[in-house]
Amino acid sequence: MDKIINTADNYVNEMLDGLLAWDKRLARDDRAVFLRRSSRPNKVGIVSGGGSGHFPLFVGYTAPGLIDACAVGDVFAGPSVDSCMRAIKSADQGQGILLLYGNYGGDKMNFDLASEMLEMDGIRCKTLLGTDDIASAGPQEADKRRGVAGLVLLYKIAGALADEGADLDHVHAVTAAAADHCRTIGVALSSCTLPGRDAPSFDLAAGEIEMGMGIHGEPGIWRDKLKSADALADEMVDRLLADPVAQPTNRVALMLNTLGATPVEELLIMYRRISVLLEQRGITIAVPMIGPFTSSMDMGGVSLTLMYLDDAREAALRAPSDCRYWNLGS
Amino acid sequence: MSIDTQILRVALRRAALATRLAEDQLNKADARLGDGDTGETMRRLFGALNNEMPEYSDDIGGFFAELAKICARSTGSSLGTLVTVSMMVMAKQTKGQTVIEWTDLSPLLLLVRDQMMARGKANLGDKTVIDMLDGVATALVNCDNAADAAARSRQACTTTLDLFRDRENRIGRARMFAKKTIGQDDPGMLALSCLIDALSGDTNIQASSHA
Repeated sequence: MDKIINTADNYVNEMLDGLLAWDKRLARDDRAVFLRRSSRPNKVGIVSGGGSGHFPLFVGYTAPGLIDACAVGDVFAGPSVDSCMRAIKSADQGQGILLLYGNYGGDKMNFDLASEMLEMDGIRCKTLLGTDDIASAGPQEADKRRGVAGLVLLYKIAGALADEGADLDHVHAVTAAAADHCRTIGVALSSCTLPGRDAPSFDLAAGEIEMGMGIHGEPGIWRDKLKSADALADEMVDRLLADPVAQPTNRVALMLNTLGATPVEELLIMYRRISVLLEQRGITIAVPMIGPFTSSMDMGGVSLTLMYLDDAREAALRAPSDCRYWNLGS
Repeated sequence: MSIDTQILRVALRRAALATRLAEDQLNKADARLGDGDTGETMRRLFGALNNEMPEYSDDIGGFFAELAKICARSTGSSLGTLVTVSMMVMAKQTKGQTVIEWTDLSPLLLLVRDQMMARGKANLGDKTVIDMLDGVATALVNCDNAADAAARSRQACTTTLDLFRDRENRIGRARMFAKKTIGQDDPGMLALSCLIDALSGDTNIQASSHA
């Protein structure tokens, strides 16, 4: 797929240049992007990071009420140790830092190294990994699951708690409970092409789809011919509801997300079915979100995220924020 | 002749050239199992190390410490971070030294291996770059000169690739393709093999049987 770029090597830096030219609330220290003014003095810092190519995840959520700073990696590569350290330092107000990012090997190594180095400077960090992708490992190995779109909901919950003045342990505990009750599954319709590459990242024939494929093209559950929107909605809802959680409730936050190339109109066609299915199961969609929240470059496909809500989670999701990519339905 | 910073500087230049020449082949090897960026990662990392090489000094520990800093800001990939870890270990272990004796190379590499395992939460046998490093470090036990080190380490690369080719990857993204990884060389192992080819005198990477 042709791309509007100058050079592949400058893809990320020039993207960040544009982001900062657009959003004057943001500042940048090399590959760390952070808020110039904190939404509250003396608050716990919320820091994330990850590879580029998933916009608005991760850096797009650097906004009041969500994350304070983000370490930005190359396309589909983790952020460097240096950028993790810069992001942590920029968000530090002496109240500790919640490191909230997806469960990927490189990201973990780099944030671990960075936080260990900064602990010597007196910066206390606690880590919480997004592990919402149910296709990436079974319930018995839930700690091996990847973090995908569900991270966005966790950003909002952690950000809201930090803005209320909660301490690091409380922010971590509530957000961790939310993570335990958050599940995502995706379906890919077409591959994506990385900047500078001649070929797509993986092969997916025309008319074929892969249920459960990850946001970097990691293998899913099955690959077969394209199904109807209703059939896909049925399977995705069934799989999410069948995945066990400790305390399921009858109110959920729902995020229906395009992976890049799939238009929002097709998401609406799916939502028409999903909303009926959940109603039939006695589940209320308290927080509906439809749109582009987590992409995989130009991949065709969608992901569906459900988070079971209690009062604290729902209040945090509804708390004030000011982010271009955080859009609640009515 | 022992290993000093002048030798290390030449080695870095050769590594930068080798990773540039091997970029496409490593990308292709990685694309069979992952997202196809191993070649790009290595080319960018060793390019940065070469381009930003510290001013000459005979302090080996200081040299590795500076390289570690360059790595820490230049790469975020798992493989790249393992290179960062290796530089940090070498910096710590060679602090205050102006030379590394060839006989000390094996124990140093074994320490690097152990730290990589701890950081990467990997075990020997998982079919990663760490298995390749283990093979090379073990082959270098009691090695006391450059020519012997070159021969032994290149042989270790061939042996280790052959040993692991028909096994499954057990960690990282490739573990999800477990069956598909049988018959495939691990891209991280291949990358280290390319580097060793270059460091031991063979910069004709395109013709290397390993890549």
